[in-house]
Amino acid sequence: MWATNAKIVGIVLGTLALYTLIANKIPQVQSEVPQALSLGANVTPEQLVAAGEKVYTGIGGCTTCHGLGERAPNLLTDEKGQGTIGARCGKREPGKTCKQYLYESLDNPTAYVVSGYQPIMPVMTKQLSPAQVWSVIAFLESQGGTVDVSASDIPAASAAPAASAAPAGAGGGLAGGSTDPQAIIQAAGCLACHKLDGQGQVIAPDLTHVGSRRDAESIRRKILDPASSVTKGYEKLAGIMPKMFGTMMNAAQLEALVHYLAAHK
Amino acid sequence: MTDSTLLLLQAAADTTHAYGEFPVIGARAFIWITAEVHLMFAAFVLGVPMFAVVTEAIGIFGGDERYDRLSKEFTRLLLVAYSATAIWGAMLVFGLSTLYPRFWAYLTSIFAPSMWLYAALFFVESFTLYLYYYGWDRWKEGRAKLGHWTLGILLNVWGTIVMFIANAWLTYMMSPPRDITPTTDPTTIKLWHAIANATWMPINVHRVIANVVFGGAIVGAYASYRFLAARTEEERAHYDWMGYVGNFIAMSALIVLPFAGYWLGREIYQYDQSMGITMMGGFMSWLWVIQAFLIAVLFLTGNYYLWIGMGRIPGAERFRPYTKYLLIVLVLGAIVWGTPHTMIADSKELAAMGGSHHPFLGALGVMSAKNTAVNLMILTTFLSFLLYRRANTRPVVPWARAGTIIQGAMFAVAAGVVLFYGIRGYFVEAIVRIGFSVYQVLAVLSCIVFVTVIDILMARGAQSLGAIRWGRMPPRSQYALFILAVTFTWLMGLMGFARSGIRQYWHVWQVMQDTSKYAATPALGYASKMISLCVLIFLSLVAFVFWLGGLAEKSTFVATGESEKGARHVGH
Repeated sequence: MWATNAKIVGIVLGTLALYTLIANKIPQVQSEVPQALSLGANVTPEQLVAAGEKVYTGIGGCTTCHGLGERAPNLLTDEKGQGTIGARCGKREPGKTCKQYLYESLDNPTAYVVSGYQPIMPVMTKQLSPAQVWSVIAFLESQGGTVDVSASDIPAASAAPAASAAPAGAGGGLAGGSTDPQAIIQAAGCLACHKLDGQGQVIAPDLTHVGSRRDAESIRRKILDPASSVTKGYEKLAGIMPKMFGTMMNAAQLEALVHYLAAHK
Repeated sequence: MTDSTLLLLQAAADTTHAYGEFPVIGARAFIWITAEVHLMFAAFVLGVPMFAVVTEAIGIFGGDERYDRLSKEFTRLLLVAYSATAIWGAMLVFGLSTLYPRFWAYLTSIFAPSMWLYAALFFVESFTLYLYYYGWDRWKEGRAKLGHWTLGILLNVWGTIVMFIANAWLTYMMSPPRDITPTTDPTTIKLWHAIANATWMPINVHRVIANVVFGGAIVGAYASYRFLAARTEEERAHYDWMGYVGNFIAMSALIVLPFAGYWLGREIYQYDQSMGITMMGGFMSWLWVIQAFLIAVLFLTGNYYLWIGMGRIPGAERFRPYTKYLLIVLVLGAIVWGTPHTMIADSKELAAMGGSHHPFLGALGVMSAKNTAVNLMILTTFLSFLLYRRANTRPVVPWARAGTIIQGAMFAVAAGVVLFYGIRGYFVEAIVRIGFSVYQVLAVLSCIVFVTVIDILMARGAQSLGAIRWGRMPPRSQYALFILAVTFTWLMGLMGFARSGIRQYWHVWQVMQDTSKYAATPALGYASKMISLCVLIFLSLVAFVFWLGGLAEKSTFVATGESEKGARHVGH
């Protein structure tokens, strides 16, 4: 019986060892806690590229759309024979260098939309600090191109950790905790997609008369859980609105914004 | 809010540290081990009663006393397993309250009433178990036996409610209702609002089915150990039969488990797409390759056990030539299912691969191919069961030939539907493609249901080609049952890591952040070591429980005459 017991123990340990070995042989990816980015005046291109890659694959959320091949152009691989983003960025818009084009894509993404894709990209300069934005640009330039981003591109103020880069839930809220709805709308970047009182983009539903089609409860739910409902005619953009606005605002801000929008009959 | 909750909140507010530390292994590892081993025992004490009450019912309504004895044998093991579950549960609670006091205070301030209900139901459940076990021989005839069986049902009802309550806590951590923000005072959150969160019911259903699978697998492992240790033919026959029943239940429930998992995954995506992407295409993407490997091991080992088992069935040699084709389908299905697709990769890896997806294998890694593969694997496994079931019988009903042709046609239609939608999925938009999986699943489930009904009707009065020679199994078949049990347990640990890990650095998703030094979610390599350790602890303790069970009472194997009497219809 001892021999049988030994075989059983051997099989159990062998099976466990096999599974553990395989799990250790595959690429090891740890999910890090997002950190605010702080770059000094002597930052090197290599440091910018490394920082940019972290933002790109982490807090920036870029891989959510770029890389899956359907929602947005692949940036790290060849796109329709034009090479990787670093190689093609300087040829996208006449008169614009690679750096200018990439910054425009992050700051005003609807200015130029690649053929075959929807204008769904949010304004990243509203969500990331300048240091994070420029490090992402450096990283994208490094993908087949020349990195010409330097510390001089980054505003001095950006050397300090950006409040907007801190993980949600840290408290405080947008716009320094202001309950002025217009300040909240500005800080959250709502007008990058929505139009309100004649300002903003028309990618997402016009909010000028949102109060006539949604009550306060519906608006609140839509902000907290964008997937809870889809405005008629915008079904193709379902799932695009970021989910984090509810966690970026404190309760007073949320209520102020909800009532402000509900009053737009 | 209860006084105890207020006290806990007060304690949390008074402390200068939100986190404690555990010596040597650290706070996270301690919570990981206690939670996982508690969960494994909980699955055991929830899965085995389901097994017990079903086998007791077969004994009562089928008139085969062996099932009744089998049921009692496992209920005896539950007595000790309950204690182990409670001990590990207590360690988990002590760990949470001392190592994560701020988080624990938050959770109790929302869920305190349900925690008291949980404790009360655990108490009721324990005493129902005592009545169920100690009343076995006293209430064994007529209406009293039915009353006893009702106790078994009640045992399952209490256990299921207890599990549903605990599921509410952990699913709240994953998917708190969207109107709850970091600034929401937890004492203002309505209990039912927190319980009925987006992933609560999918997890409930998934765990009920998984517990049946787990219970069957552990029963199979127990039986295989007793088989290998058996000293007489009768004993070997009994435990061979028990191992078959355990494996049959585990594999039957496993067949529907992917559908419940699919529902859960869909709910996660609908709740928060970024969470879904993290799970399937983010840092956890490689985890699903490991999962596919484990599922492949389960399907291949389960089928292997059946194919070896056909060696002890007179008449089964008719079907033996087909097994190689079944094996080919299973292997090809496993390869497709395990094909990586949307992976986190750096620029060098992408360049080496020639794109974000492999130029050839990328086409096999998409959901169209994977859904097709898994559905065909399920159909193949069902066919293995069908061949096993029919091995020693020859149907005599006049429509037997037509029935077999209809069954074959149902398999062909189901496979055709699966393949059609699998291929068509490449040519439509994602939102349409996702809907195709429903048609594939319905085709497979319909085939399983209708073919089984036809088979049962066709087996009436069937000519026997000889009794199953229980006990005539090579030892390698029993080792296969061990591999199944270990793999099921490891898979449970892996899926637990996936479910918990997608919260990343949040205790409660986007509501309460983990600010401890363990906030980063570890890579799969570290997780696999933790999982293996938990499985080892659990299996060692289960082995001890089994040994204790053997000390308490002699096994319930039956004499040759009874074995032969019941043998013909076992598995039919």
